[in-house]
Amino acid sequence: MRLSRSRTLNSLVVLVFICVVWELVVDLLSIPQYILPTPTSIASTTIKYYDYLLRNLLDTSIHALVGLALAATFSLAISLPLAYSEVVRDTVYPLITGFNAIPRAALVPLLALWFGLGSMPKILTAFLIAFFPVLVPTLTAMVTIEKELWELLMSFGATKTQILIKVGIPRAMPYFLSSLHMGLTSSFVGTVIAEMVASDSGLGYVILSSTSRLDTALAFSCLILLALITFVLSKVLSVVERRVVGWAYRVST
Amino acid sequence: MEPLVRLHGITVRYDGRRNGGLVAITDVDLDIYQGEVVGIVGKSGSGKTTLLKVLAGLIRPVKGEVVFNNHKLNGNSFRVGVLFQSPLLLPWRTVIKNILLPIEVLGEDVSKYLSRALELIEKVGLKGFENSYPWELSGGMQQRVALCRALIHRPSLLLLDEPFSSLDAITREEMWMLLQDVISHEGCTTVLVTHDVREAVLLCDRVVVIGGKPGRVRAEVRVDFKRPRDLKLQYTKEFNDYVVMVRGLLGD
Ligand SMILES: Nc1ncnc2c1ncn2[C@@H]1O[C@H](COP(=O)(O)OP(=O)(O)O)[C@@H](O)[C@H]1O
Ligand SMILES: [Mg+2]
Repeated sequence: MRLSRSRTLNSLVVLVFICVVWELVVDLLSIPQYILPTPTSIASTTIKYYDYLLRNLLDTSIHALVGLALAATFSLAISLPLAYSEVVRDTVYPLITGFNAIPRAALVPLLALWFGLGSMPKILTAFLIAFFPVLVPTLTAMVTIEKELWELLMSFGATKTQILIKVGIPRAMPYFLSSLHMGLTSSFVGTVIAEMVASDSGLGYVILSSTSRLDTALAFSCLILLALITFVLSKVLSVVERRVVGWAYRVST
Repeated sequence: MEPLVRLHGITVRYDGRRNGGLVAITDVDLDIYQGEVVGIVGKSGSGKTTLLKVLAGLIRPVKGEVVFNNHKLNGNSFRVGVLFQSPLLLPWRTVIKNILLPIEVLGEDVSKYLSRALELIEKVGLKGFENSYPWELSGGMQQRVALCRALIHRPSLLLLDEPFSSLDAITREEMWMLLQDVISHEGCTTVLVTHDVREAVLLCDRVVVIGGKPGRVRAEVRVDFKRPRDLKLQYTKEFNDYVVMVRGLLGD
C-alpha cells in the first residue's frame, strides 16, 4: 500500500516535470498557441469552459458506456452458444472475425444515414468497436477447459450444459472483466469518432469544431478530459474485478 | 462370488488423424470384487489410464463388455468417483463447495450431503478448512479435498489415477495411510492405477500388471497382507519379495 502510494507520487512528479518542460519549450521557442498551447492556457481554457466541457463529457461518457454495456451483454450472450456448439462456433466465428476486419470508423456515415445524427450512431459505433475485444477472451476461456477437468465432471454424469454453467462461465469471468478495460477505451474511441463525423454534441464534436476555429487549447482540454474519464472508469472497473473475481488474482501454485 | 465389475475382452482404439488410429489396450479381462483394492501397474503408455477411463465410462471400448452386478452396460450407469494426479479443484469455490460439486451436478439435495461432506473433511484431517479456497492449501491438502469430492456421492467404484505421483515422498506416505484409512472407513471398492510398484504392493489386495503394445494383462499378483497395513511393512523381506516379483513381471 505504502509502496503503491509512493509510486503514484512518483508518477505525479514526472507529470509535473513534463508540464514545466512543455511550458518552457513553447515559451522559449515562441510556438504559437494555436499550434501547441501551453499547459497553463489549457488549464485556464478548461476553467473558462467548465460547464460546456462537463456537459459534453457527460454526453460522450453516457453514449460510450451504453455502447460498452451493449457490447458486454452481447458478447456474453453470444459466447454461450458459441462455446456450447463447435458447429455454431466454426460457422459464426469466422463471420465475426471477418466483420471485425472492417474499419468500423468507416461505417459511421452509413450509421448516420440509417439512424440520423442523434444518439444511435454514437452508441452503435462504440458497440461495434468494443464488442470484439470483449468477446474473444471470454469465449476463449469458455472453450479451453482442461480435458482432465472435463473428464472429471463427465465421470459423475455432468452434461455439456452443466459443465458450461458450473465451470465455463465462472472460469470466463476474470477474462471477461479484464477485457472490459480494453472495451472501455474502444467504446470511447467509437463514440468520439461518431461525434466527429455525425453529431453536434459530445467531446468529439467539440474537438472538431474547436480545431477548425484554431482554438487548440480547447481541443487539448477535451483530450485530457477523455484520458481522465477512461482512467477513472478503468480504476472503478479494477475495484469491481477485485471484488467479484478476487480468486483469480490470488491463485498461488 | 460374482464380481462387482467384470471387464471382458476390452479393446480400445484411439482415432488418430494419421496412421488410422492406435490400439491402446486389447483383450483385457478383469474382475473387480466388492470391497477389494485392485492395483494396476504398468509402464508409462501401457494403457493404465485408458483402462481406468473405460471403468469410468469415459471411453467406449471398440470391443468387449463392461458388466456391473451382472448387468451388461453401455456407457456408465454406475457411480464412480475419480481422482487424477492433479486435484482439479475449482479456484472460485471453497473447499466444501468443491466437495459438493458432484451432488449439484447429480441434481440431488445438497443440504442432505452437508454433514457427510463435513465428516469426510474431518476424516482427511482438514477440519477448519471448510471455507478456505484451494489456493490457501498445499498440494497434499488439495489432493485430500479432491479425494473427498471423489467420495461424496457414495460411488460404487473409486478410481485413482496416479493420485500421489506429484507429491513429495513424505506427503505421499502420509497420503497412503490416509487413503487406506478412508477406504476402509467407506468400505469402497477401489482401483488404484500407479507406476509405483511399492505403492501398489502396500495398498492393494491384488496387483494387475499390464504391459506390451497394445497393453494386455500380463499377470495378477495377490498380496496376502491383511489390512490395515503399516508403513513399516515396506522394510520387511516379504514386502520386498512382492516388489521384486511385480517388477519382474513389468518386464523391460
Ligand atoms: N486421447 C488419446 N488419443 C490418442 N492416443 C492416446 C490418447 N490417450 C492415450 N493415448 C495413447 O494410448 C496409449 C496408452 O495411454 P495411457 O492409457 O495414457 O497409458 P498410461 O496411463 O499407462 O501411461 C499411449 O500410447 C498413448 O499415447
Ligand atoms: Mg496414465
